[in-house]
Amino acid sequence: MRLLFLIIFFNASWLSAQQMVTLSGEISDAANGESLVGAVVYIKQVEGGAVTNVYGFYSLSVTPGTYDVEFRYVGFNTQNMVLTLTENMRLDIELVEIEKELNSVVVSANREDANIRDVEMSTAKLDIKSILKVPTFAGEVDIIKSIQLLPGVSTVGEGASGFNVRGGGAGQNLVLLDEAPVYQTSHLFGFFSVFNPDAVKDVKLYKGGIPPRYGGRLASILDIRMKEGNNKDYQFNGGVGTVFSRFSVEGPIKKEKASFILAGRRSYVDVLAKPFTDVFDNGAALYFYDLTAKANWDIDDRNRVYLSGYFGRDVFKFDERQGFDWGNQTGTIRWNHLFSDKLFSNFTGVFSDYDYGFSFGDDASDTFDWSSNINTYDFKPEFNYFLNAQNEIVFGAEFLFYEFEPANAIGVSDGFISDISLDKKKSLETSVYFGNNQKINDRLSTQYGLRISSFLYLGGGNSYSYGTAIPGERKPWIGTQSHDNMETIAHYEVLEPRASLRYTLNPRSSIKGSYNRMNQFIHLISNTVAATPIDVWQPSTNNIKPQTGNQIAVGYFKNLQGNLFETSAEVYYKWNKNQVDYIDGADILINEFLEGDLLSGDGRAYGLELYLRKTRGRFNGWISYTLGKSELKIDGVNYGTDMAERKGQWYPNRFDQRHNLKITNNYQINDRITLSGVFSYLSGTPTTFPNDRFSQQGYVIPLLKNERGNVRIPDYHRLDVSVTWDNVYFGKKGRKNTDYFVFSVYNVYNRRNPFAIMFSQGSDRQPIDEPVETIASQISIIGSFVPAFSYNFKF
Amino acid sequence: MKKIFISLIAFAFFSCENIIYPELEPSLEQYVVDAWLNDLPGSQKIFLSKSNNYFMSELPKLLSGAEVYLTDEDGNRYDFEETEGGYVWGDSSSTSFLQVGTSYQLNVSIDGIRFSGTSEMNPVPPVDSITFKYQEKDFSTAEDYYLAEVVATDLAGVGNTYWIKAWKNEVYLNKASEINIAYDAGFSAGGNIDGQVFIQPIQELINPFDTDEAGEALIEPPYSIGDTIYVEIHSISESAFYFLNEVKIQTVRSGGFGALFAQPFSNVSTNLINEDVNSAIHPVGFFNVSAISSLEQVLTSEIAQKAQEEAENKN
Repeated sequence: MRLLFLIIFFNASWLSAQQMVTLSGEISDAANGESLVGAVVYIKQVEGGAVTNVYGFYSLSVTPGTYDVEFRYVGFNTQNMVLTLTENMRLDIELVEIEKELNSVVVSANREDANIRDVEMSTAKLDIKSILKVPTFAGEVDIIKSIQLLPGVSTVGEGASGFNVRGGGAGQNLVLLDEAPVYQTSHLFGFFSVFNPDAVKDVKLYKGGIPPRYGGRLASILDIRMKEGNNKDYQFNGGVGTVFSRFSVEGPIKKEKASFILAGRRSYVDVLAKPFTDVFDNGAALYFYDLTAKANWDIDDRNRVYLSGYFGRDVFKFDERQGFDWGNQTGTIRWNHLFSDKLFSNFTGVFSDYDYGFSFGDDASDTFDWSSNINTYDFKPEFNYFLNAQNEIVFGAEFLFYEFEPANAIGVSDGFISDISLDKKKSLETSVYFGNNQKINDRLSTQYGLRISSFLYLGGGNSYSYGTAIPGERKPWIGTQSHDNMETIAHYEVLEPRASLRYTLNPRSSIKGSYNRMNQFIHLISNTVAATPIDVWQPSTNNIKPQTGNQIAVGYFKNLQGNLFETSAEVYYKWNKNQVDYIDGADILINEFLEGDLLSGDGRAYGLELYLRKTRGRFNGWISYTLGKSELKIDGVNYGTDMAERKGQWYPNRFDQRHNLKITNNYQINDRITLSGVFSYLSGTPTTFPNDRFSQQGYVIPLLKNERGNVRIPDYHRLDVSVTWDNVYFGKKGRKNTDYFVFSVYNVYNRRNPFAIMFSQGSDRQPIDEPVETIASQISIIGSFVPAFSYNFKF
Repeated sequence: MKKIFISLIAFAFFSCENIIYPELEPSLEQYVVDAWLNDLPGSQKIFLSKSNNYFMSELPKLLSGAEVYLTDEDGNRYDFEETEGGYVWGDSSSTSFLQVGTSYQLNVSIDGIRFSGTSEMNPVPPVDSITFKYQEKDFSTAEDYYLAEVVATDLAGVGNTYWIKAWKNEVYLNKASEINIAYDAGFSAGGNIDGQVFIQPIQELINPFDTDEAGEALIEPPYSIGDTIYVEIHSISESAFYFLNEVKIQTVRSGGFGALFAQPFSNVSTNLINEDVNSAIHPVGFFNVSAISSLEQVLTSEIAQKAQEEAENKN
C-alpha cells in the first residue's frame, strides 16, 4: 500500500518543475452534437496525446510551444490544427462523419491501431453503428447477442437469460446502463435484450484487466452508455419488426445546449394474434416493452448535467390473475464539473429496481402472489486528474445501498389472508479507489490502482445461526437473533489491487498483461440449468461470505497489412473463492433458512482466446475462438465414493464450454445490399445423467453416482444469415432521411440444437401396478429455422 | 396452472423434443427400501429391491431372504414376514400397531448387511371438507368443468408436515407432479403460516389435469357431475417432506420451454443408513410412519348446481 503511494507521488516525471500548459475540451459529432467517447487527440511533436473520456472530455499538458495537433475518431474525418500554446486553452472540436461508410467496421476501436496501443486488454468496445449489420434472432439488433460473438463470451443456449464471460455465471456480470446496475438483461427469456439499440451510444465489455473504478462482480463489467440526443435537429428513428416495433425521438431542448432522447419498444404478438384466437380474451397476455429516456443540459464550459431513465417490463399472463412478470427500472442523475482544465469530475446518483414475481388463483378469495425485488441506491463521485502527458489519475468513491425483498408472498385461501413474506434485507457497499494510467516510455504503458471496499450487512430483521452438518446436507438452524434497523450484522473489508501493462514491440505489435482481484457481495442463487428471470439475489451475510476472484491474463496483439487485419491471442487464468452452490433439493423461492441450504467452495477457469478481424473492404468480419475450462470444487458436491467426509472433487460448472467459435462475415454486394452471416459453434454444456432408477411408493426416481457434470449434451452449432437493403424508399434523395430493410433467417439449416437432456417418466398418467416407462429426450428451445424481417427508418 | 402456462408459451415458440437413447454405465444395483407405513386398519408392507438401469422399464424385483422388523421406544418388536408381495405385518383384519407420538426404528438385515432408519408418527388434522368450484370452459378445455378443493387446517405448532393424496373414482392420482405436500399450511419451512387453512395451491392440487385424448392441446375436465373424490392427509416426518420435495424436483420434468426452469439432476435424500459406516454400500429409499385422516365426496348435481350459482353470483 505505502509502496504504491510512493510510486505515484514520487514518480520522477511528476516532479518536473517546468512550466506546463493544458489543452482541454470536448470532442463531439458535428451532425448531432453527441460526444465522442475514446476520440484521440494526438500531438506529433510529443508523439503522444490524450483520449476523450466517457463524457467526451480530454485534457493534456505540454510545455508551451507550437504543435501539430490531430483530432481523430474512426469513421470520422481527421481534423488537423496547428496550435500555439502559451497558456491553458479550451478547445471543443466537432468531427464530421465520413459520408459513405462503405468499409463498414463491425467491432470498432477508437483508432485504427487502438488494439495495439491501448493498455487495456481483455476488453471489447462496440459502437452501436457497427452492430447494426450482425444478424440476430428475429432480425433485431441486439447488444447482448452481439457481445456473444466476441472471444470469451458465451451463453448456455437459447432461452438462457444473460451471458457468460470466461466461465463465469450470468450473475457474475455487472451490467451498467448509464452507471445504473441492470439486474436482468433479458426480454422474453433471453431471446432479446432489454437495451434499445436506438438509445445506446456505446458498449464496452471488460473481461479482465478491470480498472479500479469498477467493482462488485467477479466475471465482467458491461458498461452501456446511452445517447445524449441530437442537440441540433429533431430526429426520428424507428423500426417495424416481426416481434416488436421501436420508435425514438431525439432533439434539442435548447439548441446546442440541451437535448433529449426518448425511445420505446413493444412486442405485439398479442395484438396481432387477438383477432385470430380467443386465448387473450380472458386477460391472458404475452408482451414486453421498454422505454428509455435521457436529457442533458450543457450549463456552461464547466458544468453539464444528465438525467436518464429506463423502464422495461415483461408480462406473461394466462388469464387475468395468473402468470408472471419482471422488469427493471433505473434512474441516473449525473453532474460533470470541471474544477480546472486538468481536474474533471463527475457525480452520479443512481436508483435501480428489479422486481419479478408470479401469481395464481381463481378469484379474489383464492390467490397466491409471490414477488421479489432488489432496490439499489448508488452515489458515485469520481475524479479524473490529467496530470501531464504521462499520467492520468483517476480516483473516487462509491456508496451503494441495497434493499432486498427476498419473497413477498401473500396467500389468500377462502378469503383468509396469510402473509408468508420474508424480512427485507439491507446492506451497504462502500468503496474508495484510485488509479493511474501511466506512460512510462514510448514502449511501456501501465494502468494500476487499488480499490478498497467494505460491505455491511444491516438490520432490521433477523440473522440466523446454523450448526454444522455433513457437507452437502442442510445445516441445522440453531438460533435467530433480531436486529435494530441499520444495525451491523456482518462486516467485510477487502482490498482489490488491479494492474495492467502494455509493451509495444513495434508499431504493429504489442504484448500486454494484467492482474485483477474482484469481490462480489451479492449472489444470484439459481438452481436451474440456465439463469432465469426469477432467480433470487441474496446479499452476503454472517453466513455467506463475499465471493473473491483473481485473474491474470497475458496477450499478444498484432496488426497486419496497415491495420487491415487485427489479430490477438490472450490466455487467462482465474481462481475464485466462496463460490455459492446449494444442497440438493434446496428451496429457493420462499425460504427463511435459505442460508442453511447454501454451500460454498472454490472455482477456477482458464482458457485461450484467439481473434482475427478484417477491418475494411467489401468483405469484412471476424473470427473469434475460445478454448476454455471452468470448474468448481465444493465439499458435499461431486464427492464420488468419499461418503465419510464428502470432500468435493473438481467438476465442470454449468457454463463450461470447451470450444466456442464464432465467425461473423459481411459482404457488401453493392451500395445498397449487404449480406451477413454468423456461424456459431459451442461445445455441449455439462450435464448429469442418472445411472439407475428405483421405485418408491410407485414413483420412479433417478439414481446417480455422486458425480456432477459427467456427460456433455451434444454440441451447439448454428448459421444465421441476413440481407440488408439500404435506402429502400428514401433512396439518396435526402441525406438525412435513410431507411433499410433487413431480412434474416436464424438457424438456416434447421438444426435442433439441444438445450438440455431430460430423463423422465413422461407427463402422462401411468397405470398402477404396471412398469413405468422411463425415457430420455433432448429438448431444443428453437427447433426450426426462424425467418424474420424488419424495416427501419430515420428522418 | 404451470402446465397450462407452459403449453401456452411452448405454443408461441419453436421448441421441440426428440427421444434419444444415450448409453448409460452399468447399473449400480443399490439396495432400495420402500417403507411407508400408516395407522389404517389392515396389513403393513415394506418392499426391498435393487436399483436397475434407468431405461429398464420393469417392476422392481423384490429381494427375498431378509430379516425385517420395527422396534419402538419401549422395546416392542414387530416382525414383517416375507411374502411374494413384500414383507408384511398383519392381515386385512389387523388394526395398526403404530401410535401417534411414538418413534419407530426400521431394521433390515440382508446379505449380511444391516440397514436401519427411524421415523416418528406425528398427528394429523381432519379433512374438514371437499368443495367444488364451477369453471366456465376456457381455452384449455372443451367444456365447463369443476375444480375440487380440500379444506383442512394445519395443526398448531411450527414444523408439521403432510402429504395429501387424492383418488378420483378410486384411481390414485399418481403423477409425480401431483405429489402434494405441505409444510405447516404452506409450501416450505419459514413461511410463517402455522395453524392455518392450507394455502390455495395445496387445496387445489387434488385435481387431475390430463390431456384430452381427442386433442393434445385440451385438457379433460378435472371433475364432472357424478365423479367421486377421496382425499387422505398423511402426517409425515420433516425429513420425509424434504425427501418428497426432492422426488418432485427430480421426477417432474416438463419438456419444451419448461426445461428452462428445470433443476439439474441430483440424488434424493434417504433416512436409511448402513450400520457399517465404512461400507461402500448405501441403501436408498425411505422409512416413514403416517397417521391418516380422510374424506370422500361425490360431486352430485345439487353440489354442482350450487357451485354454478356461486360462480354466477361472483360475476
